[in-house]
Amino acid sequence: MNMLRVWPIVCEFGVGLVLCAVGIWAGLRGGYLDLKVSEDRRLLVAFVAGYLLLLAGACVFTFLSPHWAEGGTL
Amino acid sequence: MIAEVLGMPLDYVVLLAYFVGVMGFGLFFGRYTSGTKDFFFGGQRFSWWLIAFSCIATIVGSYSFVKYSEAGFQYGISSTQTYFNDWFWMPILVLVWIPIIYYRKIVSIPEYLEARFDKKTRVMGTVIILLYLTGYIGINLVTLGKTMHTLLGWEIMTGATVTAVAVALYVCAGGQTAVIMTDLAQGVILLIAGLGLFAGAIYHFGGFGDFWSLLPQAHKYAFSDFNAPPKFSFIGIYAQDGLANTGAVMLMHQAFLMRFLSLKSVKDSRRMVICWVLVLAPLAAIATSCGGWIAKALVNKGELATDAGGSFVNAAHFLCAPGVFGFILAALTAALMSTADSLVNAVSAIFVNDIWRPYIRPAASDKHHLLVARITSLAAAGLGLALVPVFMKGTIYEAHGMFTAAVTPPVLMAIFLGILWQRYTPAAAFATIAVGSVLIALSFVWPDVLVGPLDFGMGPDSYTFMRALFGLLAAGTVGVVVTWFTRPRALGEIKGLVAGTQTDAMRQFKGGEPNRRPGGKARLTAKLDPSLAGTNTVIVPQSALDTMAAEPGDLLYADDVRWWYGGLHSVHVRAGLPAHSKADGQMLISPQDADTAHFADGQKVVVEKIL
Repeated sequence: MNMLRVWPIVCEFGVGLVLCAVGIWAGLRGGYLDLKVSEDRRLLVAFVAGYLLLLAGACVFTFLSPHWAEGGTL
Repeated sequence: MIAEVLGMPLDYVVLLAYFVGVMGFGLFFGRYTSGTKDFFFGGQRFSWWLIAFSCIATIVGSYSFVKYSEAGFQYGISSTQTYFNDWFWMPILVLVWIPIIYYRKIVSIPEYLEARFDKKTRVMGTVIILLYLTGYIGINLVTLGKTMHTLLGWEIMTGATVTAVAVALYVCAGGQTAVIMTDLAQGVILLIAGLGLFAGAIYHFGGFGDFWSLLPQAHKYAFSDFNAPPKFSFIGIYAQDGLANTGAVMLMHQAFLMRFLSLKSVKDSRRMVICWVLVLAPLAAIATSCGGWIAKALVNKGELATDAGGSFVNAAHFLCAPGVFGFILAALTAALMSTADSLVNAVSAIFVNDIWRPYIRPAASDKHHLLVARITSLAAAGLGLALVPVFMKGTIYEAHGMFTAAVTPPVLMAIFLGILWQRYTPAAAFATIAVGSVLIALSFVWPDVLVGPLDFGMGPDSYTFMRALFGLLAAGTVGVVVTWFTRPRALGEIKGLVAGTQTDAMRQFKGGEPNRRPGGKARLTAKLDPSLAGTNTVIVPQSALDTMAAEPGDLLYADDVRWWYGGLHSVHVRAGLPAHSKADGQMLISPQDADTAHFADGQKVVVEKIL
């Protein structure tokens, strides 16, 4: 595995995880993000889902996409 | 000139029609501006989808199509890697920054700096941000002038002047409402143009697989190599864009702050950022970069000869019929105008709110300040235009680039620490900006000593990018060190301005305890009631209050039932005591509030609880 292609994902999503965690911690602190409220729970789920969606996209276009068209078709 | 070869008369007709249409669109919305709140924040009434589109239009600048297509031609789909960065800032934006500015009614970045820290930090912030924004207007106009020169053969100054006049006129007339509505149109145009070009290319190649197989292997990765090449390495792009630029757009860009404040509610900011970052931003990334990918595939197929810089224009011309190419040119123009109009409005807001209102005419009426805001809009566009010949010389352009690189990380770090760390002191904020800027300026004098240790082995070619990382680390270190040796402000003085006190800001905004019980929307008919004049209160039936889970005294938002107006016909009001049963299905509203909302008697409305 070419680690020069892996480190960007580790760095992007590692630092990104820290930024997300800081934001969510800052929301929970003082009760502004109230997990007893359904809207706030949905927001938290959206943050996690968005993170995972981007991570999946980055992985697909790093580990799979370069080999898609090796035979001329998908 | 390319235009003499590429452009057809029909293309120019389409481009002219676009200019006239956008100006007319913007001027039309001038009638929705009756005070500075309308001029700067569009009356704080707009729906999430409208703001999401306008944010995308603002963030895609005139240079985007050319710059990202050039990167796409050279490096492939990793040209879109900068768009991965936005999501990670969303929790801080949605859970901390937007609640603070919205509920504390902060109208400018410098105002936040004074409220959170002190006056001298505000003064420094005002000077820096005004220089930053005004310079950016000039740079955008230069970029468009150069693009027009390439496409149409116009002199750079002619293209810049035509655009500056058009932007100045509709911003002066319609303020933020005109900016948002024209940005909606321009956002749609640039997405349709870019994505339409991509779809046309896929059709031309005979399918996605055939297109994909024409790209070199190295062009098929989401990210470039970690530390290669020096001018497009992942770590360089990430430090400059992912950390410094994206953070600056989210936290210290006055135009975006005003856009967030134009939302009808903080709750709408949640939907807005999801739509913006997860849906529209990836589409915009494809729209702006695909010209380079298509050009590369066409070159490899032997159908086109082009260099990286001309890849977007040449690929578009190769694929488009006359008239359609004009639409693509209009999209390029749209990208510029939608950025420049936001900057012009932002300069006007800072001048009025941070200079004119506090220092020159504090007792003047809102009508007076609105007039000053309009004049400042014209002056800001004029000043940007005056900078065009200066920036065209190159060295000043580079000097502004150096200035921007020097001040962005320190101001961003001061705001970042200010909103997240209660212990962060006013003296530390001042030192973060002042000493941080000086250290970054010194990094231009001794780059090998200061930036070199952070270059990840890439050498001097990477310093332009890695300087952002140095700036963030230097400013952050200064801020942390000074904080430990100076006295913080008492928590009571900064309530609502820092993480952990957002609910205090909500209480201050409402003037009482927030009602956060989940509720629905009530469909009612507006009925004018002169007895409610001057109260900003509406009377709705008890059943409607129950639907909204609202109580008398809660803040409500009444909107035209036609959702596609995006909040243009709407008003914020307070719930009064519920009506008797004979008024069932009606919302009694004062004529003044109805006028603000553009409601006629008998208007069907949707009412929801805000807080």
